[in-house]
Amino acid sequence: MSKTTNRIITALFSVFIGGFFVLNLLLPDKTFSEKENRQLQTLPKFSFSSLFSGSFATRFESYCSDQFAGRDVWIETKAGAELMQGKQQNNGVFLCAGDRLFEPFTAPETNTLTRAVQAADSLSDAGVPVSLALIPTAAQLYAEILPDGAENDDQKSVIDSAYSQTALSTIDLFSALTAHAGEYIFYRTDHHWTSLGAYYAANALRSSWGLPEIDKAALTPETVSDSFCGTLYSSSGFFWVAPDKMETLIAAPESSSVTRYETNGTEQTLPLYNYDKLTIKDKYTFFLGGNIPRAVVETGTEDAPSLLILRDSYADSLVPFMMDAFSEIHLIDLRYYTGSVRDYIAENAVDRVLLLYSTDNFCSDSSLRIF
Amino acid sequence: MVFSSILFLFVYLPVVLAVYYVVPARYRNLWLFIVNLVFYGWGEPVYILLMAFSIVLNYTAGLLIARYRLREDKKARAVLTVNTVVNLALLVFFKYFDLLAATLSRIPGISIPALGLTLPIGISFYTFQTMSYPIDVYRGDTEEQKNFTRFGTFVALFPQLIAGPIVRYKDVSSQLGARRLSAEKFSSGVQRFTVGLGKKVLIANNIGALWDVYAAAPELSFAGAWLGAIAFSLQLYFDFSGYSDMAIGLGRMLGFEFPENFNYPYIAKSVTEFWRRWHISLGTWFRDYLYIPLGGNRRGLSRQILNILIVWALTGLWHGANWTFLLWGLYYAVFLILEKVFLLKKLEKLPVLAHIYALLVAVVGWMLFQLNSVGEVARYWGAMFGAGGVAATAADAFHARSYAVILLIASVAATPLPKMLFRRIPQRLRNVLTPVLVALCLVISTAYLVDATYNPFLYFRF
Repeated sequence: MSKTTNRIITALFSVFIGGFFVLNLLLPDKTFSEKENRQLQTLPKFSFSSLFSGSFATRFESYCSDQFAGRDVWIETKAGAELMQGKQQNNGVFLCAGDRLFEPFTAPETNTLTRAVQAADSLSDAGVPVSLALIPTAAQLYAEILPDGAENDDQKSVIDSAYSQTALSTIDLFSALTAHAGEYIFYRTDHHWTSLGAYYAANALRSSWGLPEIDKAALTPETVSDSFCGTLYSSSGFFWVAPDKMETLIAAPESSSVTRYETNGTEQTLPLYNYDKLTIKDKYTFFLGGNIPRAVVETGTEDAPSLLILRDSYADSLVPFMMDAFSEIHLIDLRYYTGSVRDYIAENAVDRVLLLYSTDNFCSDSSLRIF
Repeated sequence: MVFSSILFLFVYLPVVLAVYYVVPARYRNLWLFIVNLVFYGWGEPVYILLMAFSIVLNYTAGLLIARYRLREDKKARAVLTVNTVVNLALLVFFKYFDLLAATLSRIPGISIPALGLTLPIGISFYTFQTMSYPIDVYRGDTEEQKNFTRFGTFVALFPQLIAGPIVRYKDVSSQLGARRLSAEKFSSGVQRFTVGLGKKVLIANNIGALWDVYAAAPELSFAGAWLGAIAFSLQLYFDFSGYSDMAIGLGRMLGFEFPENFNYPYIAKSVTEFWRRWHISLGTWFRDYLYIPLGGNRRGLSRQILNILIVWALTGLWHGANWTFLLWGLYYAVFLILEKVFLLKKLEKLPVLAHIYALLVAVVGWMLFQLNSVGEVARYWGAMFGAGGVAATAADAFHARSYAVILLIASVAATPLPKMLFRRIPQRLRNVLTPVLVALCLVISTAYLVDATYNPFLYFRF
């Protein structure tokens, strides 16, 4: 190496590590990453006990990488480097044709599924009709766009197995959704279904309950956002894919409202659609305001029965299609709600119960607990 | 702390280097001594005490042995024996207590509870480094070190503290005094460090994810088992030699010159040659401080075979507190003995076959090294030798396609070919190309470290 080259390399390395050291010191810390949709580690408080337990070291290391200057660009660079090696995926998310992001499904252990079904079945003698509806996710509907041989378990067989074991009445959302797989029924950058997907599922539920289906001609589509970058976008690092369009298909009834109850006793009343949420990263919270242990929707419809949905977040965008048929819709998320559901049914004179879960959430251990 | 982290690269290293180059030369060892302890204590501060004890113990032993060596050999021997026993006792206690307790507890009537101690990081490396120093003083191979800071700086020297190379005191004793620093040395250190960083972050971590797929797979096909085994073989080489490169590079930035630790082991044409190319500093250590004192090859063939068995049983166990490591060591002993007795001569006549044989022994052996129980090893070996009954699955094809590029890069980079080709490039072009490649490797490695979903430290058991 020539003298000049050695000097260049010395300078280059010093400026690189020293420059980022200084830059990281100077730049203000952020508490939240919009792109990744998660809280960032801020400077951990020093104490001798946290030093000796090692927790200070762990948090300080997360702090260094979470607050690294230009973090989003680095993440995007890594995602690009993974693709260039021919991997087609990054952090477990595949980038498929048409800018569709794809998270494969892993079937649960047989007894995990059985435990979930047994938990659900404990409501079979609750004294009101209880239906179980499992939602096949995009990983099932678009399985053919995955590269050959990539692991992605079949959800149909998981749903069939759950339905064959349960004592509850079951509703076939699989057929309802696959019939429209060619339409825009799942977001490309998010794991949720679109309003259109929720609409088809709602009609399947309604017809199985003997309620009239909502005619497609009666829908009033309105695009509320064309810059929705969902959860898959955040975890994949593929920050260059086009955002999704988010729409409502049915107007919120005039006198409707959503009352949300936190575990700590506080409550808050929001509208069905929350336009202010469209300015933040987590735009799916536009529907009903996002995850909450318990919420009660006043639909504005009078003299109709009341519905309890035990659910994950897919229910948020489905509720608008149930407003005319029920006067109250109770929503309970068992991941956060700790009370007894049986007591809840009795105390609130619930007329009908629906367990509405995406297949993966239904099978995950933490979702379904004691009823 | 590990080298391949944002904390090390962009906080620790700039501070260490900046102060090191700014302070007057006579304070450099003191500064290194302090930051070594910070590096070591990060994560497990309590073990700084253990490190401090080890420094004081071996420092004192060195002084005493030097004093008694020539006139009162008995006393010198006594000090050396006590020092060696205490060093080994600490290693055995912190590393093997739970294994011994669990094994002894299998005997009816004996029940020793496990302590569940966290293994002090790098204990196997620094115990070997420090305990060889009093031995060398006794043998007259090196002078004693009177300056405590210099000795402490040597023991806890952060570049090679946690994953080698095993630097012996006599290798660096002259460098503990005055060290020459220059842009040339620093630049060569940067190049070496960057190569090591890329080997670890871009190749080893990447290909390690492929091994993880197969290590955890409930069912293994023939092709899948081989794909996994090859992936691990490449991961371990790039990870370990990457760490050594980073250590050697960091050493040069600080003015040290450490011994080499790897020399393209996968091009070996015999198991004997493989071990002259893999983790060289460990092999040399065992040779100088165990094999030769046991008599080496000077006391007849049967004694030599026994010596090989002893050395390789302990070499195996050195790698981790699990009886599978003992078996792995003995597995190599068997091949080394066979080669000594007759095989080596035959292999010399069949170079291509010899190369395939050496690779096979290594790749098959790594499964014994890496899997946690004899049962798992049997299952994995079964699949590698066709007991699974399935040749290949669609998933294997997918994984092979996904990792084809990195497997190809890794296989070529494990040979001297890239280096030879690079040297063919005209000097003037290389002067331009080198900084560009260094910058590129640093930038991409940083991207992988910022989004570090997978960055294992493989030597937590060493």
